[in-house]
Amino acid sequence: MAAGGLPQLDASKMQLVQELEIEMMSDMYNRMTSSCHRKCIPPKYLDAELGKGESVCLDRCIAKYLDIHERIGKKLTQLSVQDEDFVKKLQGEQPKV
Amino acid sequence: MNNENSRSVSVKSALRKYLNITGGNVVVVMDFLTSYNKLSELCFVDCVWDFTTRKVRDKEEKCALNCMEKFLKMNQRISQRFQEFQMIANENAMAAVQKTGGIAR
Repeated sequence: MAAGGLPQLDASKMQLVQELEIEMMSDMYNRMTSSCHRKCIPPKYLDAELGKGESVCLDRCIAKYLDIHERIGKKLTQLSVQDEDFVKKLQGEQPKV
Repeated sequence: MNNENSRSVSVKSALRKYLNITGGNVVVVMDFLTSYNKLSELCFVDCVWDFTTRKVRDKEEKCALNCMEKFLKMNQRISQRFQEFQMIANENAMAAVQKTGGIAR
């Protein structure tokens, strides 16, 4: 996802990062599927077809899930950058003491 | 989470070793097995309610089969929407790169 900030990595490490990213993606996808299933498909299986309401709910659920995923990712990045700056500041102060 | 991961790793190596399944196919087989198990659990929990008899009732069977079919259709729809989202995200990323003059890659 945010691989832009990483230092230059050799091929094997790059591959590891890529595999991790794929694993993360599929984990996210699975969680999204089960969440939206839980939220949109009532557990009464009178019909094998997706109802109109269910379909619309699924579409919105996916859009919202991905939206939230992105927002949280951004916030998390922001916080970790802040954190890093803080740690750097602390380390900068240490030699004086 | 960690536990799950280590288990899936051992299943993956077993698939490679004993069934001669290689490369990307390992992932495909794993995905199939996990989704099969998940589907069975889900439809069992939602559809089987009569424990006064040993047999699966007609109603329960119908419900479970509907549950499965609906689940597959739902998966299809979700994967479609997800692909659409990814395409748009990719296009946006490309556009952003071009806009900034393509950071010398």
